[in-house]
Amino acid sequence: MTANSLAGVITVAFFGALLCLTPIITRPTVVFGVRIPADRAGAPVIRRERRAYYWRAGAIGVCCTVTAVLVAEYGPWWLARIILLPELAADLGCLQLARKKIAAVKKAEGWFEGLRQTVATDTSWRADPPRFPVRWLLPALMVIAATVIVGAFRYPGLPARLPAAWGSDHHAHKSIVTAFAFVVGQLYVTALWTGMLLVIYRSRPDIESADAAESTRRYRKFLAANTRAMLTLMALVNVTLLLATLPRWQIYRLSGISSVLPLLPFVAGLVILAVVAVRVGQGGSRLPRVSAVQIPAARLSLVSPVREARLARAGAGRGVGPSAGPGRSSPARTDRDDDRFWKAGLFYVNRDDPSVMVGNRFGIGWTFNFGNRTACLIFAGIIAAPAGLAAIMLAAGG
Amino acid sequence: MLLSIEPDGPVPIYQQIRDRIVEAIADGAQPAGSGLPSTRQLAVDLGVNFHTVNKSYDLLRQEGLLRISRKSGAVVQRDPGSGPPDPGWVQDWAGRLRTLLAEAAAQGMPERDIIRYCRVATAGFAFSAREGAA
Repeated sequence: MTANSLAGVITVAFFGALLCLTPIITRPTVVFGVRIPADRAGAPVIRRERRAYYWRAGAIGVCCTVTAVLVAEYGPWWLARIILLPELAADLGCLQLARKKIAAVKKAEGWFEGLRQTVATDTSWRADPPRFPVRWLLPALMVIAATVIVGAFRYPGLPARLPAAWGSDHHAHKSIVTAFAFVVGQLYVTALWTGMLLVIYRSRPDIESADAAESTRRYRKFLAANTRAMLTLMALVNVTLLLATLPRWQIYRLSGISSVLPLLPFVAGLVILAVVAVRVGQGGSRLPRVSAVQIPAARLSLVSPVREARLARAGAGRGVGPSAGPGRSSPARTDRDDDRFWKAGLFYVNRDDPSVMVGNRFGIGWTFNFGNRTACLIFAGIIAAPAGLAAIMLAAGG
Repeated sequence: MLLSIEPDGPVPIYQQIRDRIVEAIADGAQPAGSGLPSTRQLAVDLGVNFHTVNKSYDLLRQEGLLRISRKSGAVVQRDPGSGPPDPGWVQDWAGRLRTLLAEAAAQGMPERDIIRYCRVATAGFAFSAREGAA
């Protein structure tokens, strides 16, 4: 098995495991892309579909990994990576199966009927915004600087033709662009992820309206932990690109299975990100709750703790108040049923929402609002940039 | 300040945002001089159109509760401690209050219950210390 084949097998196994375990890290009120009221989280259909998903996705992961190992041993190196596509498609098929079944029961039983569907925000998010951890950017930038310095020293002594890509048999004419191709990759990854994280810091916090203050607190922790994990992964991706470019600059030679070594920092970064994801959960949903203070389903839509205490005092002994007065008959508060804006439970399309990015429904992290023009432009840019860079490389390589 | 709206409810969203901010000022959660998020930020946070929040802020500005400037953004201008309101405003408000209370009376609610509910409604308001002592 070659290094390239092994990388393919690792990728197939990693994504198989990741997709199988994704339901663990999603919010309890968003199950397989379906928004549900909190008190329905234990519904029989959800338990059944969750169990079925684990079995199906687990079986798909195992089958695809075994197939990848076999083709890596006996077939061409790229075939193992191709298996990733049917694996992803099959897992997404499992997701759609579970989503449709849960959505059907939700509709038939009217899970949201009689509930107050609300959207809440804690304005302290804007008054005291979270700070982007700039210092965590330094490792990634230092790796790029180190790569550039090493490259600058090596460039004059390089031969007229260089390997076109790591592990490939093709060669390209020596030029700044072809010699520093991986530095361009480092810069692209660093600029893209930093830019995305900055947009995310300005985006809406993914909070629960029934417990806005507490879920805002947890979202802050989630954002901080996830950002640090992503910046660490970014630095490790840059290390992988540095290690991959050193053989091209004839600093060392890797052969056979040892040529998979440059991938190790990247794999370590992915493991760190996965561990953080499991610990915090999407939007901080797996973090422990500090207080059990819930906004009561009273007539009040905006309640300060001071007002809560005063209302409690005013109601005591008089027979009226939030618990005995109008609040008792008010329906329970829950997050808004926004399934109609989520196409296939994965893609958010809401033209009335000015948000560029919103929290993911299935998995951890964020996704674009495809109903927003700015979001579509950014997405198109992210897709177009690597294609443009590849075209420049090819043109420069001759 | 926790701000919650029902986007699919019968009350227009701009009216809900305006009402929640008025309640926050009365509660003491947003005292005079405190800032509110910009219209764009609040629109993003609530997932509503920017013009909807703009309309709410404009209403509050017309009512004298909010001051909006390019430099300092949206700042609360009045609160329970800002002194008595304009007599013309009181007259207008009394008219609206009469209609609201008439709805309860028309539904057959006894006077004592109406008064109780009024007490509960105002119990959380941050009336100034001077008034409280009086």
